[in-house]
Amino acid sequence: MSASLDKGVRVLKEVIDAPIASYFNSCVHCGLCAEACLFYTETGDPKYTPIHKLEPLRRIYEQEYTLLGRVKKRLGLSKPVTDAELAEWQELVYNSCTLCGRCSVVCPVGNDIVYMVRKFREGMSASGNAPEGIKGAAQRTITIGSPMGVKLPAVKAQMKHVEDDTGIPIPLDAEGAEYMVMLSSMEIINFPEYLGAIAKIMKQAGKTWTLCSTAFEATNAGMQIGNSDLARVIVSRIVDGAERLKVKTVISPECGHAYTALRWEGANLVGRPFTFEVKHIIEVLGEFQAQGLLKTEGKETDRLTFHDPCQLARRGGVIHQQRSLMNQVAANFVEMPDAGFMNWCCGGGGGASAIEEGEELRLEAFKKKKSQLDAVKPDRLVTACANCRIVLEEGLEHYQMDIPVVGLTEMLAEHIPDTATKSAEQQGA
Amino acid sequence: MTIHNDAEFKAALAGLDTAGQRRAAARFVERVLDLTADGRVKAAVAGALRGELAETDRDGLFQGANTARVESFTQCGRETDWHAQAGHFVAKGAVACVKAPAAGENLAWDAAMHARMARTCQGVASGAGTETREAEAQYTLLNSLLEEQLKA
Repeated sequence: MSASLDKGVRVLKEVIDAPIASYFNSCVHCGLCAEACLFYTETGDPKYTPIHKLEPLRRIYEQEYTLLGRVKKRLGLSKPVTDAELAEWQELVYNSCTLCGRCSVVCPVGNDIVYMVRKFREGMSASGNAPEGIKGAAQRTITIGSPMGVKLPAVKAQMKHVEDDTGIPIPLDAEGAEYMVMLSSMEIINFPEYLGAIAKIMKQAGKTWTLCSTAFEATNAGMQIGNSDLARVIVSRIVDGAERLKVKTVISPECGHAYTALRWEGANLVGRPFTFEVKHIIEVLGEFQAQGLLKTEGKETDRLTFHDPCQLARRGGVIHQQRSLMNQVAANFVEMPDAGFMNWCCGGGGGASAIEEGEELRLEAFKKKKSQLDAVKPDRLVTACANCRIVLEEGLEHYQMDIPVVGLTEMLAEHIPDTATKSAEQQGA
Repeated sequence: MTIHNDAEFKAALAGLDTAGQRRAAARFVERVLDLTADGRVKAAVAGALRGELAETDRDGLFQGANTARVESFTQCGRETDWHAQAGHFVAKGAVACVKAPAAGENLAWDAAMHARMARTCQGVASGAGTETREAEAQYTLLNSLLEEQLKA
């Protein structure tokens, strides 16, 4: 057994906790999880059955923690987990699993398969079997602080760009602000308009807000690769920043896994309750809407539909807010089949979009989204996740579907009357 | 009228008709065109610079530039290549030059912003910093364009 395999198997033994043991014992092999996974439904290949993706972990559980398994192991009757097998499983645990959680919610015995996959990833990561793309992202997170290598000067450049574009100052390190706005690397690099939209919305709502120079990056590569220590470091940076600035609420950006990492797992990762609240930007916008602080004018008249990011809707329970927001600015909003809680993933979550060798499979899986879109034939597709947005654009381009993709936050900001930002523009003039 | 700041710049661009906006957009993007090697992007800008485009030609140029835009996105988790990212923003600018205008959209302003982002990315890539003079260069370009229009 190689040193890396030894380490990986040791980690896998350690991550098998009571829930995982009960999940393996409870599985009735019904196959419902297969029908819930877009990698299975679109390829028909049984190896993509979610519970099968955990087979090496199941064998370790059986061999280490069950009486019969231990006896079989002692007698040499069980099949040990090997380096080659874990390498083969990389495709199943990373490329073909976006941690979308659809399998978990259809399981009739309540097995949280996503939880199991994430634990399995810890062993895969420890044994060196994570994909190079995700390893690189994790390494950059450690050395630079951002999975995509974004440094503070690039953020400041974007702030200046947005200030020029909107005429609204972008606060940095403003102590005592009500909200600390986080960004994902994707928004810094590809979608500067997101920050501009936040500036317009906050200004109209009359809220104080700030970016944080030591914690602007929300993306959690530790969660994607399966490394709790790294996930903890990333969350700790955000906690330190938020507490230094004494903010009341940290806003997770349009990035699914950033939200899950910070909102649902952050306090457990750092081992204490937060001194601030964590909300997704869509939750905050929903609150502004309910409080009458989001005043828009006009409506989009073309046919719009909404793609629910998995971590926001299924894993996060944020479902009605985005619909209410859509209805505020869209006169012709239509729902795709399975929209909301049971929406199908774009195919690029959970770090999958960072895996170059997984691109062909990702595009194959995109046929599920294509069928959803074909059912309603929208003029445009709206979403609330920067990663979904790019994966959707690539899939649409690949299948020659002329459907522009837009971010919900930006679309709302476009409907804020100019008078809300006029004074700032004039000041800048 | 001489343009000195973004408020005047934006207002002047908003006063142009669609053809004028395309011309201005193309001039802005032309300044950063050397940051991409993509022929589809260059073709779109060249088409917009030529002026009046038939609907089918414009649509073809749009499709090409838009594909270049999508292909040049930096994927989530991948290391940012700021040179390539500059090219991505040039592609976005080229799309603004040839896209069908939607209500309330200021194509030339959008193109100007994308061109500035492209220049900023170039600055990050080269290590030269992110302070650029692109905005001032755009004011000068627009001043010239408006003068040309007055003379015509």
